[in-house]
Amino acid sequence: MFSKLKSVLLLPLLALVVYLAGCDAGPPVTQLATAKEKAEQCVEPVEDIRRNHMVYLNQHRDATVIEGIRTKKHSLNECINCHVAPTKADGEALHYPDKEHFCASCHTYAGVKIDCFQCHADRPQVLDNPDYQHKLSANSYHELSAAVSAPDMADMLLVTTGAQGAEK
Amino acid sequence: MSDKVMNQNREKTNQVDAYRRRFMSVVTGAAAAAAIAPGVFLREVQAADVTAKPADQPVSNKVRWGMLIDTKRLQDGGAAMVEACKKEHGWGNDPKARPDQQPQWIRTVKVTDKLTKNSFTLPVMCQHCETAPCVDVCPTGASMKRADGIVQVNKHICIGCRYCMMACPYKARSFVHESLTDQRPHSPRGMGTVESCNMCVHRIDNGQIPACAEAAPQAVIFGDLNDPQSRISQAMKELGGEQIRSDLGLNTGVRYLNI
Repeated sequence: MFSKLKSVLLLPLLALVVYLAGCDAGPPVTQLATAKEKAEQCVEPVEDIRRNHMVYLNQHRDATVIEGIRTKKHSLNECINCHVAPTKADGEALHYPDKEHFCASCHTYAGVKIDCFQCHADRPQVLDNPDYQHKLSANSYHELSAAVSAPDMADMLLVTTGAQGAEK
Repeated sequence: MSDKVMNQNREKTNQVDAYRRRFMSVVTGAAAAAAIAPGVFLREVQAADVTAKPADQPVSNKVRWGMLIDTKRLQDGGAAMVEACKKEHGWGNDPKARPDQQPQWIRTVKVTDKLTKNSFTLPVMCQHCETAPCVDVCPTGASMKRADGIVQVNKHICIGCRYCMMACPYKARSFVHESLTDQRPHSPRGMGTVESCNMCVHRIDNGQIPACAEAAPQAVIFGDLNDPQSRISQAMKELGGEQIRSDLGLNTGVRYLNI
């Protein structure tokens, strides 16, 4: 009787030990959707923007709505323009609930729930604004100095092929 | 050091802007003097009515944006203005809403005199009151007036109580009942928040005039009510500009002619 009780207690304990041992492996690699790789770097260093993007966005939204400050650096629209493709690989519209969406690809892993996209557009509007992507490089767009990175081969190709090429 | 340089640059741009304003006021003043008042409406260049502010500068209370609408010159009663607004802000086809629930940022209203049967149509949107009842009643401060006189909803703090809809004497506000996707990037709209005409803030901040004013250049003047030299101030000085429900004393930013 007693040994039976002991085994009942021991089994979950053993399971817990095995489960916790798995924690040593560290977090699994996130399948973060890639940005469109137009920019050499984001508007802030990667470590900073990953940790603090919500702070920047909150500050910028209040400045925009209340004071009418419309700089592009921390604007959600510009984040979307650079990081989110308008369609999935199969040509269907890409929305925030899809796991391929840049924001969702990390938020689902981190267990974060946001309501930004209940109101805000979650993808670039290609029909109205075919030039939604950066033409040359993100540096001029993001108010960084042009010295940060010279336009690379892909950028030069964009310039020569024009906006049609930019959408591919 | 760099701050100093920036400040100097800012001062320079301010000076340039001041120079531009003076120049434009002289030009428009001359135009107003040359043509008799009705000619004020006919124009080709609209950009002069809104001077672009630098994107990193907050809006100032030195300007107060306003609009003067001549109902006689609106052949369609303002239908083109409504269409332009729908296109600009993406409202009017919310898939699940009943027709009477559909948001309406601007609508046409037909007024008929019961006795004489004389009737006219006028477009009605948020009138951008100086003392706005919707701002007074809002429990969270979401219904707000910008420094430049534009009344709008800060949807980030709107709780969807719809008190402002009750308070507005112009029925200018609408409520979004359903979840939406693919909103216009510059005009976020979403379930559970109240919305209304915001005089196309995103356009004004870029130095453009509102979409509805652009759609009816023959009948609408948009501009700065605080600047006595602006085209709208000149036109209102010459022709007057009636408020609807002027008995409420709200000092609206949207004014009408021939109503």
